[in-house]
Amino acid sequence: MIHVTNLTKRYAGRTAVDEISFDVGRGEIVGFLGPNGAGKSTTLRMLTCYLSATEGRASVAGFDIFKDSIKVRKRVGYMPENVPLYLDMRVKEYLQFRARLKGMGYRESRAATDEAMDTCGLTDVQRKMINTLSKGYRQRVGLADALVNKPDLLVLDEPTNGLDPNQIRQVRDLIRQLGERHTILISTHILHEVEMTCGRVIILDKGQIKASDTPQNLVRRLRALGTVSVQVKGSPEAAMKEIEAMTGVRSVKHTITRQDWARIEIETEANTEICEEIFQIAVAKKWKLRELVQKTASLEDAFVNLTINKKEKKSDD
Amino acid sequence: MRAFTIIFWKELRSFFLSPLAYVVMALFTMLSGFLFVNMVKAMTANVNPQSLVFNLFSSGWFWMGFFILFPLITMRLFAEERKMGTLEGLFTAPVRTSEVVLAKFASTVVAYLVLILPMFLFFPIFKSLTGETAAFNDGALWGSFLGLLLVGILNIAIGVFASSLTQNQLIAAMLTFVGVMLHYMFGYLHHMSALPQSEFTAGLTYFSTVEHMQTLSDGLIDTRPMIYYLSFSAMLLALTHHVLEYRKWQA
Ligand SMILES: Nc1ncnc2c1ncn2[C@@H]1O[C@H](COP(=O)(O)OP(=O)(O)O)[C@@H](O)[C@H]1O
Ligand SMILES: [Mg+2]
Repeated sequence: MIHVTNLTKRYAGRTAVDEISFDVGRGEIVGFLGPNGAGKSTTLRMLTCYLSATEGRASVAGFDIFKDSIKVRKRVGYMPENVPLYLDMRVKEYLQFRARLKGMGYRESRAATDEAMDTCGLTDVQRKMINTLSKGYRQRVGLADALVNKPDLLVLDEPTNGLDPNQIRQVRDLIRQLGERHTILISTHILHEVEMTCGRVIILDKGQIKASDTPQNLVRRLRALGTVSVQVKGSPEAAMKEIEAMTGVRSVKHTITRQDWARIEIETEANTEICEEIFQIAVAKKWKLRELVQKTASLEDAFVNLTINKKEKKSDD
Repeated sequence: MRAFTIIFWKELRSFFLSPLAYVVMALFTMLSGFLFVNMVKAMTANVNPQSLVFNLFSSGWFWMGFFILFPLITMRLFAEERKMGTLEGLFTAPVRTSEVVLAKFASTVVAYLVLILPMFLFFPIFKSLTGETAAFNDGALWGSFLGLLLVGILNIAIGVFASSLTQNQLIAAMLTFVGVMLHYMFGYLHHMSALPQSEFTAGLTYFSTVEHMQTLSDGLIDTRPMIYYLSFSAMLLALTHHVLEYRKWQA
């Protein structure tokens, strides 16, 4: 559906997107994840033909974004960041205008507008002026706008930005629902979002792709360190010694003691399972054990690892 | 063509749903009504060889109204869309930049004609009320209508261009004001006695809006100024197209 090779965008000397290449297959929901300023919006704007690439090429639904821009735009439903809308129009009127602008006939556009309003839960507010709507509803109008002409691909730039938790959940559910029928490319700086909605994540930082995989694989593959937490009764020193001697353990430290219970945090190498071993030793040595938890790294850890650490490392050397 | 029609109606609709349209219409009608009355009074008091139409459209006061009218009706066209970000939705829809420019331009020309319509009605109303036939003839009226259409087209093209340059409506309005005024002033250059009479000064009459209006409001139709207004406007619209396309490359 999307095929990108060495796409680059430079703004007045600074490179916002730096030779990125990726593909998105039909039916996929792909999340574009990165901190602010990573170049997510710039990439999406190039794919939707709002900006021209400085270098590289890309095609959407088989059409070159530069040479066949009109054909690409016919097949893409785009919701820009911050959802700009004509505030002086009514919801239904706006959607119908957009449907017609995207090439639908009058009758067709009416039916499509009703369907889009139904999908996005806008039927009740169809006669309201857009400037009287809450942010959550405007977001839905933006979504309805993107999908009104039944495009092959939906491109959504930070669709839950600025919403309250309830609205976020609603929009997310809506996106997941849309994923059953559309290919979706969604950008966000919120990790939860991709974990919950996307089949694949592309992590972007400083205009470069740092990783591209399923959220689960990414966590597994990128989990630099696993953490195990143990609570033992009494003095932790003996237990710490035993644990330090195990294979795959990188560091052991005693964090707090509360009412005789000492908590020990253990860092292990990637993909190392030591809980069973600790349990067996505990049984053998008759430690009193209250907690034994393997903490799995979240996508958040992977993300922080990929973006923040790299930055620090770079500035170090 | 499809997108042109859709944007044309959308623009026209949003213009006439805004209070600005009626404020501008009221102001302009008041100004020209005031002038009309004064002109009639003056012509009653003194013998005047020119027609009422000719006198009205030769008045500097009348043209002053234009310096305000055009910035007001063109400033939002592109500047507002840029500011609000709706330009992004517009240009990621399958529409050609040229269609957008032409649709916004054409809808503003139509809006302009509606705005000046009340002023034009003064003439037939005056005629039917007073039964006066000598004040002006129909040729003069139609001629001056054509003149105002041409001048309007050019000034709106100036405004469209100015609005594409910035996201600030106030700046767009000021640029248009200056543009419209400069063009008007330029038309007086050949009157300046300091300039030696030459082919050059004769050439300057090409820019003289007032002179064109005077010819037209005598009922004489000269195609040379028509070509001048239309080609100058086309050039400004082409520049607007260029500005909007260039945006893609730098942003
Ligand atoms: N119109 C622009 N002109 C100049 N620089 C820009 C422009 N838009 C974005 N940038 C810069 O490009 C980089 C990427 O921006 P953007 O794509 O908006 O990031 P994101 O959407 O990931 O937050 C940022 O450093 C930003 O400052
Ligand atoms: Mg962004």
